[in-house]
Amino acid sequence: MAEKTISPLGNNIRTYFSKPANVITIAFLFILIMTVVLPLGTLLIGSFKVNGNQEAIYIGDAEDGDFTINHWKELLTSKDFSYAKIKFWTPLWQSTLMALIACVVAVLFGGVVAWFITRSDLPGKKFISTVFVFPYIMPSWSMAMFWENFFKNTEINAGMGMLQAVTGICVPESMVYGLFPCAMALGLHYAPFAYILIGGILRNMDANLEEAATVLKASRFKILYRVTLPIVMPALVSTVLLVFSSSISSFTVPFFLNKSSINSGNNFIAISVQMRSLINTGFTKGQGYVLAIILMLFSIAILTANNYITGSRKSFTTVTGKSGQVSLVKLGRAKVPVTVVMLFLVGFFAIIPMFSFATESLLEVPGDYSTMTLRYWLSGEPFEGSNKGDTIGILRSMFMWQALGRTLLLSFIVSMIAGTFGILIGYAVARKRGSRAATIVSNLAFLPYLIPSMSFGAVYLALSYTKGFTWLDGSFILLILVGSIKFMPFASRTGTSAMLQLSGEIEEAAIVIGVPWWKRMTKILFPIQKASFISGYLLPFISCMRELSLFVLLVPSFQTLATTILQEYSRTGLTQSSNAINLLIIVVVLVIQFAVNKLTGASIDKGVGGN
Amino acid sequence: MPKIVLEHVTKRFNKFTAVEDLNMVIEDREFIILLGPSGCGKTTTLRMIAGLETPTEGRITIGDTVVFDSEKRINLSPAKRDIGFLFQNYALWPHMTVHQNIAFGLENLKWPKPQIEERVREMLKMLKIEEFDKRYPSELSGGQQQRVAIARTLAPRPKVLFMDEPLSNLDAKLRLEMRIELKRLHTDTDSTFVYVTHDQLEAMTLSSRICLIKNGLLQQFDPPMETYSNPANLFVADFVGNPSMNFIPAKAKITGEKTAEVSFFGKNFLFTSEAPLGELKGEAVIGIRPEFIHLEKGSMKGKVYGTLPAGMETTVKLIIDDYILTSVKFGNVDYKLHSEMNYSIEGNGIILFDKESTMNIGKGTLTLA
Repeated sequence: MAEKTISPLGNNIRTYFSKPANVITIAFLFILIMTVVLPLGTLLIGSFKVNGNQEAIYIGDAEDGDFTINHWKELLTSKDFSYAKIKFWTPLWQSTLMALIACVVAVLFGGVVAWFITRSDLPGKKFISTVFVFPYIMPSWSMAMFWENFFKNTEINAGMGMLQAVTGICVPESMVYGLFPCAMALGLHYAPFAYILIGGILRNMDANLEEAATVLKASRFKILYRVTLPIVMPALVSTVLLVFSSSISSFTVPFFLNKSSINSGNNFIAISVQMRSLINTGFTKGQGYVLAIILMLFSIAILTANNYITGSRKSFTTVTGKSGQVSLVKLGRAKVPVTVVMLFLVGFFAIIPMFSFATESLLEVPGDYSTMTLRYWLSGEPFEGSNKGDTIGILRSMFMWQALGRTLLLSFIVSMIAGTFGILIGYAVARKRGSRAATIVSNLAFLPYLIPSMSFGAVYLALSYTKGFTWLDGSFILLILVGSIKFMPFASRTGTSAMLQLSGEIEEAAIVIGVPWWKRMTKILFPIQKASFISGYLLPFISCMRELSLFVLLVPSFQTLATTILQEYSRTGLTQSSNAINLLIIVVVLVIQFAVNKLTGASIDKGVGGN
Repeated sequence: MPKIVLEHVTKRFNKFTAVEDLNMVIEDREFIILLGPSGCGKTTTLRMIAGLETPTEGRITIGDTVVFDSEKRINLSPAKRDIGFLFQNYALWPHMTVHQNIAFGLENLKWPKPQIEERVREMLKMLKIEEFDKRYPSELSGGQQQRVAIARTLAPRPKVLFMDEPLSNLDAKLRLEMRIELKRLHTDTDSTFVYVTHDQLEAMTLSSRICLIKNGLLQQFDPPMETYSNPANLFVADFVGNPSMNFIPAKAKITGEKTAEVSFFGKNFLFTSEAPLGELKGEAVIGIRPEFIHLEKGSMKGKVYGTLPAGMETTVKLIIDDYILTSVKFGNVDYKLHSEMNYSIEGNGIILFDKESTMNIGKGTLTLA
């Protein structure tokens, strides 16, 4: 009897696992629980226990590993020397404000450019759209560095910047360092991201929807706010939410631009900077974890809001009709001024920064063009009065080459893992569409996107201190792991959308003639959506090349990665070298991006979700 | 009142000419169909009249108003042309309910609220979609969306209505139903309809006149029956009618004002035209509609190539030498393959074309000499 009841179950399991999509779903469910859920749990536990002896002494009357709510209590409520206010509430409020301003800048700038590119007869669209994406390809702090290079002046003891050198104008310190410039730098960095998302929707949006309103005598303004905006709204909301969650947790930009003098009243400590200092101080690690969790809650609340807004019954899925006949808005008399302004803005924020990094790396005294030197690129002398044991010229420094090599290797491995995982997840989600396991996998794979880089670093830091995982501490494997998981959402999104575009019949045609699964993947599915899939590899690669916040807590020394060396030089005031390294990273990323684009047709905007 | 006049309208996209030197007069309350293969410029023409596309050259008048004139630099916006436009994919706004979609145009006209309500009710009732009032477009089927789109277009009572393949996204049965509805609407609304399609059957059944376009050039602008029975050239003859006309290469010699000697299939015929014949440059093509080929009678012989019974009528293909002729027989018949078959060519709708110019040079009867 017993045998009879078991055998159909056994058969069911065997049938279930005979489908590759099921195997992949289960495998990724396991992998994602291990790499996303488990570390998050560790972090949560870490915020409720004593982490190490220093903390035990600091809290008093406690031992390492004890349960405590002290971290939460102290950081959120302590009134001693206004501790909670200074360490938590003020940074939180200021970071929120910064993120909001960044959103407004990114959406306005990116959205306006997107509208002009997709809906008007603006000349030079190709050039503008290519160049406009540059700031997004650059490391996130590039805009911050450029902002500093441009606005700094001798009046605030920061050396002469481009503006002062050209016009003699000295802007006040709050324009150079602090909250406002951070918000601007972030906004400008994410403007191309907004452009790609909004532009993608505008391009896919049926122009007939607007024409229908024109015919029904709606004014141009009315069409914009009654038809175009509501339809673009989900993309707009997504953009706002994603930019907000990226900005509020941004570490690098506030780190580069918080050089205000303490007494200026312009002091700005972003919440992510606060988190790092808490974690790096031995006795407040738990409080750092509390911050990481709070930042994450922000993101998760944002995702929920996003799903709620875009998931309503109005269903904004774009009805794709024949939009071949898009009539572009004629700019008429405004054409010349608009073109000039666009070219100026795009040039200013995409091309001048690189020019500024180049000049800054060449000037011994900032702003003084008579002190031009190639020392910081080529000199073989060691640093004066420092024990860095390295040469000044970054192109002759062994440390620099090793770090660059390591960065490239890391990025390559990360992109391989993330990209391949992305395709597999995409395959499983597309084939198992609607099943609960597939939905969970798809959501878990997207979760790392919403976890701020710093928090994600903190998560894995907490994990590497946990018993059984200490071998990860400071290892290269940890960096690979963190990078692969953190950048997988890009790949899994592109992978899923590319797979969804392929009808099941394409694969079934191969199944019928007995082509094995791996061959179907490599010989049929991959070649058809080659450009999209390669974009899924390209985006993690580029993101990893220019990533700092994610790795900054985890690297064994500042010499590990190109970006950490850059950060160290910036911290110690070697601006020439940090500018030089930044330019080097940008050039490497741009060259690789263009090479891949020319060879395979893959591109950044395909990866982010544009067309 | 609104008569639409197109004069020398040309549209070029860079080097590609979509519409060339189009002249057309659409009378008030007509149901005009712009017909042609895809990419022939019919949609562009419609969009130019509506004002959604700007012609490169020419002049367009709707009623007494010049809405476009390339020389005088007049170009009225679609909003000022008093028209309605029905899009192929309906272009319903996904974020508005059915009610809001229909009311939108009336709000733009600054109608008072009660009147808008009343008109929306009326439209919902007219198109039998009352119960969908509060729904969003994504919650409707294709046919329901189509009705909403029609209601939205008709609500402001446009005097001219443009439709761009409005039925092409519907299934065959629904398409047939909607055709009747559209024809009734045309009578009920008292407006001028201009309609784009590539479906010749739709054109035949709906329109008061068909405007046939090929590669941006007007081929023929006549009532459907005239287009069918007296096509202006080989293209029109081939495009209109299903099954399509038989074309037989022939040698021809004009013998009188209305007569010609024609030979094909090794036989000589006398062609007698109704009107004086046009110019014949060399070779000729004889065009015979399937219904003029009568089976099981006459002295000519062919072999059965295949039969396609469709219930009401049967299409029979005959093979004669290397040519396949199509004929139609009423009722359900089935002939044995390869069996020999007698046939005759009878009727007064045989067309003589000039092969070189492809023009129709005469319509008449064919008798064995």
